[in-house]
Amino acid sequence: MKKMITLFVNDKEYEIAVLPNRTLTQVLREDLSLLGTKEGCGLGDCGACTVILDGRPVNSCLVLAVQANGSQITTIEGVAEGQSLHPVQQAFVDHGAIQCGFCTPGMILSAKSLLEKNAHPTELEVREALSGNLCRCTGYQKIVEAVQTAAKTMKKTSGRKRG
Amino acid sequence: MLLLPKFDYLEPENMRSALELMASLKSNAKIIAGGTDIIVNMKKGIISPKHLVSLVKVKELFGLEQRKKGIVIGSHVIVSELAESNLLWKNYSLIAKAASVLGSPLVRNRATIGGNIVTARPAADLPPALMAVGAKVELKSKKGRREVALDEFFLGPGKTVIRPDEILTKIILNELPPFSGGDYIKLGHRKALEIAIVAVASRVTLDKPQGIIKNVRIMLSAVAPQVIHAVSAEKILMNEKPTDKLIERAATLAMQDCRPISDIRGGAEYRKEIVKVLTKRTLANAVKEVNRKKVKSER
Ligand SMILES: Cc1cc2nc3c(=O)[nH]c(=O)nc-3n(C[C@H](O)[C@H](O)[C@H](O)COP(=O)(O)OP(=O)(O)OC[C@H]3O[C@@H](n4cnc5c(N)ncnc54)[C@H](O)[C@@H]3O)c2cc1C
Ligand code: FES
Ligand code: FES
Repeated sequence: MKKMITLFVNDKEYEIAVLPNRTLTQVLREDLSLLGTKEGCGLGDCGACTVILDGRPVNSCLVLAVQANGSQITTIEGVAEGQSLHPVQQAFVDHGAIQCGFCTPGMILSAKSLLEKNAHPTELEVREALSGNLCRCTGYQKIVEAVQTAAKTMKKTSGRKRG
Repeated sequence: MLLLPKFDYLEPENMRSALELMASLKSNAKIIAGGTDIIVNMKKGIISPKHLVSLVKVKELFGLEQRKKGIVIGSHVIVSELAESNLLWKNYSLIAKAASVLGSPLVRNRATIGGNIVTARPAADLPPALMAVGAKVELKSKKGRREVALDEFFLGPGKTVIRPDEILTKIILNELPPFSGGDYIKLGHRKALEIAIVAVASRVTLDKPQGIIKNVRIMLSAVAPQVIHAVSAEKILMNEKPTDKLIERAATLAMQDCRPISDIRGGAEYRKEIVKVLTKRTLANAVKEVNRKKVKSER
């Protein structure tokens, strides 16, 4: 039987009927057409499906949509501010931290969560925070550099509060 | 894409209706907490419960509190919260440490302490650390409640004493005697998303700083179907001063206390060597922690 749930995705409210056996990844992609969230392994290993759920990055392939009822969710589509990219997104572009791009939404959401908690992470802290996000292309070095650059830019512009 | 089988999803409003529900559904129902084990198992087709019961509305399961004589942790506290808890780092650092190496940050943000216990994986990270400090769990059913020491909770891989109508409600950590310290070290092939090849949790209690050992627990994980005590290592440490030499001897005995298997993750001989190294390190760090704490409390 379908259940009615309410999701607040990227500050927009959605009321939808979902079957209990559908994951948050599926509902975001198939019902809300938010295709930025990827599904890789579906088992919690790769992090391609990362979204921020009530303030914490999680594997949305291991969350039932019904479990997210009433929650605030940020997907990659909710990261940019209007036409301007978020500093983490900009740094990924500038550093060549994106190749095929499949891991990128998850990487960016994990990195953004880290920088909101810890404005000056060490290289080790960056690697640790991204350790649930796998990348088959870049070899990680450029991703780590991008996050560290983003930390610096965010510090400079921290007068403007970011969400 | 891996799809989930069909099931019904239930969210009881409070503990009383949750217990009613579990009593009426029995083996047809499974609790879903963080879902990081059960969803994986359902996607792989290993289990297919008719009903999943979520306890999100049962607020009493979500607290981590100091009580008069120790700390009580609700079964639904997530692993990240354990890893971030100052209360735990101060009083039971080995548990906070075990929490901080479980899975990945993404998994830790969903995985719960109760789920990590009930799922009873032989290499789960929290049980050895919890057992080293003598943790107990509270199990509730419509018929009543009981407390079970974690030492008696596990029966084998995936098997525990919990009945289908029971809910694990909290984890009870009794206050450790003064001059106690502990450590948890897990060895995996890589630093994250890694099931332990071997993990060791040690806890010592001295009679005074730099004193003799009054109580010790050494838990070895991933070297037997379930977590085991390094019995003979514990024995020779009792009532002795923890010198480097004695710790070395205890570590050698710990190696003989276990019967690991060879598998894709490591050979039996290699695992034994690692048991020795990790026993030595965790014991030395546990003793160091006692002496460090003492310095702090004198200030
Ligand atoms: C990618 C990945 C990596 C992982 N790495 C590790 C690791 O390094 N170390 C490790 O220890 N684990 C690891 N795990 C396993 C898992 O994350 C943990 O065991 C986790 O703590 C399970 O908690 P949960 O809340 O997600 O449990 P769930 O999946 O919700 O439940 C697990 C089982 O426990 C039962 N259950 C849960 N709560 C209760 C309760 N309160 N009362 C009664 N029954 C209950 C459920 O019915 C189910 O059978 C990993 C998992 C994934 C997907
Ligand atoms: S798709 Fe969710 S972790 Fe791989
Ligand atoms: S850019 Fe291709 S997986 Fe990371």
